[in-house]
Amino acid sequence: MRLIHEPLSTRRQAVLGVVGVIGVVAVAELLMRTVVTKEGLPVPSRVFGSLGDLFSDGTFWQAVGFTMAEWMFALLLATVVGVVVGAAMGASKAAMITFNLPVEAFRVLPSIALGPILVLLMGNGMLPLSITVALACVWPILLNTMYAVKGADTTAIQTAESFGLSRAEVVRRVVLPSALPFAFTGVRVAASIGLIVAVSAELLVGGGSGIGGYILVGSANATNLDLVYAATLVAGVLGVLVSLVMSLIDAKVFDWKKGLAQ
Amino acid sequence: MTDTTTAPTTQTIPELQLDGVSKTYGTNLAVRSITADIPAHKISVMVGPSGCGKSTLLRIISGLDQPTDGSVSFEGKTVTGVPEGLAMVFQDYSRSLYPWMRVDKNVAFPLSKVPKAERERRVAEALEAVGLKDRTHLYPWQMSGGMQQRVAIARALASQPKLLVMDEPYASVDAQTRADLEDLLLRIQRELGITVLVVTHDIDESVYLADHIIVLSTPPSIVAETIDVDLPHPRDQVTTKADPRFVEIRGHVASLLRHKELQTGEDRP
Repeated sequence: MRLIHEPLSTRRQAVLGVVGVIGVVAVAELLMRTVVTKEGLPVPSRVFGSLGDLFSDGTFWQAVGFTMAEWMFALLLATVVGVVVGAAMGASKAAMITFNLPVEAFRVLPSIALGPILVLLMGNGMLPLSITVALACVWPILLNTMYAVKGADTTAIQTAESFGLSRAEVVRRVVLPSALPFAFTGVRVAASIGLIVAVSAELLVGGGSGIGGYILVGSANATNLDLVYAATLVAGVLGVLVSLVMSLIDAKVFDWKKGLAQ
Repeated sequence: MTDTTTAPTTQTIPELQLDGVSKTYGTNLAVRSITADIPAHKISVMVGPSGCGKSTLLRIISGLDQPTDGSVSFEGKTVTGVPEGLAMVFQDYSRSLYPWMRVDKNVAFPLSKVPKAERERRVAEALEAVGLKDRTHLYPWQMSGGMQQRVAIARALASQPKLLVMDEPYASVDAQTRADLEDLLLRIQRELGITVLVVTHDIDESVYLADHIIVLSTPPSIVAETIDVDLPHPRDQVTTKADPRFVEIRGHVASLLRHKELQTGEDRP
């Protein structure tokens, strides 16, 4: 018996990971064929089978493109606002006092609930969806940036000050760079949240656009539920891919994080 | 009065003067009243028991903090902000160096307003002086502690300071590295002729490095005594430390610190 803290080889880890996925799928398949045999359940083999139909459907790829564009724009918006406001709140007491209450109030609002209002105000289209997503994404970015800027190392700051740097220069050359990896962790978290909110918002107020809209239209017609499940699966896989790409960027760009004094 | 021949030629004008400097935090008096001269082109060492307000004093000297009373003047001018020509080396090199910059960028940090060609030359010279010219591509955290502190010294030197201020610079490295870095400082100071002010709680180190020692008392600190160290240069870790004069001065400093502790009768952490 191996203990939990003993390291496993990369190959062993890969094998175990694949076994886990296949195992879950196999159990689901078995259960839905023997125990809960109701019509309309996502039986894995049938869902995988309809992936082919899904991939040959042009409207599905349009929907994926729409969701990705909506999500990326939202993430960009949330990153800009989150980093700017978070950095300001972390660096200046005045900004902290000014923004603290609005941030705390807006943070607990479910952004999805604002979706219908935004559609009412702005009409249909990508923009209200993106803003809904951005409203959910901005918080981890803002809070991470704020705490990182606030917690910037005092010796690092003093060093810069001792070279005669002004306060603005210290913020630009020391505080912000040292806070970036934490802001990026916020973006990573936000990216996953964003995709979930994007699909959910489309389901709610998307007017048939995006992956959510595709799922909604498909399930309303109930023509081919397996296709709907396949689309849902694709949305999930997209989420995994996004998270993977983000962690690769993190490892590459913020490798120096290892050097931050604990 | 115009007879200049009587002027003592060995006397140098103080680079830095502390005049009755005191600092109070709330009701806590950290530094009582420090008056001291730091002579130019020499190594001065401030030594005192831990918690004697050395770091407070350094922040005031470097213009990062204001004294509650008294004043500091650098090259005859009262210090209000960070003076031009001053560079600091901190004890905690891992926090003082910037982990997102490679060694060359760290050393170039204070030179952002210097033209590129000159900046590169100064970085190269500074790294050469500390024996790290072939490590420019590393990140500080990929280096040993001693090497990191060399980078921090190189960065200070690159700014071409007249006054190099070092706050417990070698308190976080092992004994052998410490000896190497002490010798490095002695060599660089003699090569460049800059004024150096080191703060330490290590009595051996203070005597070994110093041309001039300022012994501080326990807080609220005052200057207990100033001592001119007449040990010959170049100094050597073995022979200098075996010199009877070294032993004598070290004993004297130790007794001063001990005496001051007994006098205040307090044992602060």
